[in-house]
Amino acid sequence: MKIKKIVAVVLALVLAVGVLAACGNKNNDGNGKSDAADMKSISVCLASEPDTIDPALNSAVDGATLLAHLFSGLAKWSQDADGNLIIVPDAAEELVEGVENEDGTVTYTYTLRDGLKWSDGKDVTADDFVFAWNRAASTELAADYGYMFEIVDGYEEIWEMDDDENYVNPDAKLNAKAVDAKTIEVTIENAVNYWNELLAFPVYFPVREDVVSNEAWATDPASYVCNGMYTMKSWDHNSVITLEKNPDHPDADEVTMDTIKFYLSDDANNQLSNFKNGEWALIDDVPTNEIASLKSEYPDEFFNVGQIGTYYVCWNINEEILPADSGLTGEAAEKAKAEIRNAVSLLLDRNYIIDAIAQGGQLPASSFVAMGLTDADNTEFYKNAGSSDEFDGYFDTSADALESNFNSAMETLKKYYDYDEATKKFTNFPSLVYLYNTSEAHKAIGEYIQSALAGVGIDMKMENQEWNTFLNTRKKGDYSIARNGWLADYNDPICFLDMWVTASGNNDIQYGKGDHANLKMYDLDLTPFGYDVKVEDGTWAETYDVLISTIKGCTDKDARYKMMHIAEDMLMETGCITPIYYYTDLYMLDSSVEGFFSNPLGYKYFMYCTYKAG
Amino acid sequence: MNSKTMLYIGKRILLAVFTVWVVITVTFFVMHAVPGGPFVGEKATTPAVQAAMEAKYGLDKPLMEQYGTYLKDIVTKFDFGPSLKQRGRQVIDIISDGMKTSLKLGLIAAVLSAIVGIVLGAVAALRRNKLIDRVIMVITTAFVSMPSFIMGSLLLALFAIKLKILPANGATPAGLILPIVTLALYPMAYITRLTRSSMLDVLGQDYIRTARAKGVSGGKIIFGHAMKNSLIPVLTYFGPMLAYIVTGSLVVEQIFAVPGIGRQFVSSITNRDYPMIMGTTIILAALIVIMNLVTDILYKVVDPRITLE
Repeated sequence: MKIKKIVAVVLALVLAVGVLAACGNKNNDGNGKSDAADMKSISVCLASEPDTIDPALNSAVDGATLLAHLFSGLAKWSQDADGNLIIVPDAAEELVEGVENEDGTVTYTYTLRDGLKWSDGKDVTADDFVFAWNRAASTELAADYGYMFEIVDGYEEIWEMDDDENYVNPDAKLNAKAVDAKTIEVTIENAVNYWNELLAFPVYFPVREDVVSNEAWATDPASYVCNGMYTMKSWDHNSVITLEKNPDHPDADEVTMDTIKFYLSDDANNQLSNFKNGEWALIDDVPTNEIASLKSEYPDEFFNVGQIGTYYVCWNINEEILPADSGLTGEAAEKAKAEIRNAVSLLLDRNYIIDAIAQGGQLPASSFVAMGLTDADNTEFYKNAGSSDEFDGYFDTSADALESNFNSAMETLKKYYDYDEATKKFTNFPSLVYLYNTSEAHKAIGEYIQSALAGVGIDMKMENQEWNTFLNTRKKGDYSIARNGWLADYNDPICFLDMWVTASGNNDIQYGKGDHANLKMYDLDLTPFGYDVKVEDGTWAETYDVLISTIKGCTDKDARYKMMHIAEDMLMETGCITPIYYYTDLYMLDSSVEGFFSNPLGYKYFMYCTYKAG
Repeated sequence: MNSKTMLYIGKRILLAVFTVWVVITVTFFVMHAVPGGPFVGEKATTPAVQAAMEAKYGLDKPLMEQYGTYLKDIVTKFDFGPSLKQRGRQVIDIISDGMKTSLKLGLIAAVLSAIVGIVLGAVAALRRNKLIDRVIMVITTAFVSMPSFIMGSLLLALFAIKLKILPANGATPAGLILPIVTLALYPMAYITRLTRSSMLDVLGQDYIRTARAKGVSGGKIIFGHAMKNSLIPVLTYFGPMLAYIVTGSLVVEQIFAVPGIGRQFVSSITNRDYPMIMGTTIILAALIVIMNLVTDILYKVVDPRITLE
């Protein structure tokens, strides 16, 4: 019968397709490399398609990882023999000490190494660096990370505007010049200990003028001219970017991995499937609800490493949280609110959040400036924060302190709210709304806070918003409490502190805005550091803003760090920042891979990877 | 084709253009009314950088003027503008990259589902209430009622993780097999059921009985008479289904990391990548409108008795 024949043919076809597919993939041995001859190739997945891999425009961690393989800046991240992360010279012969000028600015003179070439064969010159820096800092490019050049002399003039919002100095340039083809001279406003780190940051990488004049240069391997250890062999958009070792790079001998395939997927479940399947040797995202099982299932392949960042809850400073009949107004009301917010923070069990909800090996946070940022003497900044010698930061996060924290919080709250001894609950705490962006992890943490507060009679509702809408709402201050997080760009506490000046685009708390703008209640005394600044009962703008701009112009390292502690003290005093935990970076790495490392900013390095024998 | 049909087609094309214009207009204004913007990130840029970016892409101009410029560029130059998120890339390039994959995936899945579906449906109808019919019906019921994310995850768990014979990402040709199968299973099951019931209906008709009485062979009855007539409902379903399947399925693309247009569409909205939202919406809307039109015309080909007006 005909039908039978047709069915037979169709079934045969289906089988054939299946068999062919199986054959097409048989040389997969399960660790991200395709076969024995391919021991020098690695497949990994960090995220989806990068927004850009133009070094000046990139502001993402995955893009930075690609750029670290494709470009050689003056400096780079490396690992010393003991596995410690260090900044070492890359395109520069050495990372020289700066020479301080009379006006306090510091000038550095770098010499480029011999043999540095662009991937199209031309020589890398000092001009390429100077051009790249001016381009990245320019108003025309308006790069997200253009402000990384804020420290370089001349940046302020470039962005200076008159009252009509026109640029005052359209021809202004950074104070950097190419003395000759191999010598770069750059002047920065004051000595900072993260300068070398900046040189290793992608936005400081060189690009060539004739290459980037094509606006689409960074989207196509054919026009992507770079100077690093790798070149871009192919880019299947939204699918995979393949990098190939650059044999002409001066350090090519050190590079052990010939090919790196960066697969592009932002779906944590998909990444995990490809890891389990053996296709990908490293994945940078894991599904939150799988973390517990992955840790036990893959003890040698599940990693969490410190990342410089803090997950926290922010309060809108202008939100009314006092009972309606408190009778407090103005400065007295704000003082009370600050005390209340700090008390609420003590009601939370951060260890529970980490162990039962986040599960990523994070550490409980007791300060806003994250773990990993160092102080003037290279000790942890957060350990020196706050005034207690018994614990690190502003409050004790240990499990033992849970009860005493709770008791002291309740004592404070009882001063302001009616407490019903029978039910052990407050009866007149105004209802709060917790704003978070759509995500299982954020939701779970919010729900924990909700239940912790409900336990003492504080009613908190949950409101979730889609990411972009959420950012907008939070920035405008249309919320009472919101989830928040901040990751450092470089190792200096200032990147956690300057975001809270009145005019900052990241001032989600609304310091110095709305009603808070008129509250004269903050003190600042900088006379011990030799500045003629002493304010009593000043506004936020008169104190905090002044403090931050003083820190930015300060050339005395010790004084600078002491003032940064004062700034954090001021922030924490307001209670508007409720730190939850310090971030960790979670990833899974195949156990057969050796020589991999990542830096505290989350950049991952695959060039020195090898496979274990066997 | 007579003049009446031509007139009908002409009218439908005009209506299609109108529909797409409405889609453009509504999308444009709704998109701008949604809070947030393309240059908003966890780390806010300074207001000066924000302003410089907006000026660069003309977002600082009044909305009506932006709308006018946009329409003009589309109509006169077929220019969808640059992506605001994937810096340096044109929207049209991103869409055509994504469409290539989605089209390939969708067409194979559609053809596969049609062939297998029609054959299985016919078999089930001819062997009505026999074992094979029962088996086909049970399986297709399962496939029709199972959402694609479950189906996809099951296939993935079995073939990619357990057996390790197929890759779990769509970056290679072999990686497209699982997404194609996932995409094809639902329409295949649906077409099987449609074909079966419509075939049963046709087989009960008088003209089939007449043909049988005249001694026409079984094969000729089925392929010469019954099949063609029982395909009309299938066709009604197939047209729009094809449009949806080739315009990419977000779920399937997400599960298998397929570089198709569905993912682009969704991420463009979360990113507030305005030109990308407009571009994908217009292309998807146009495709669906066109497929509906083609389906209507095909009716006429299959059944000349149908008049189009």
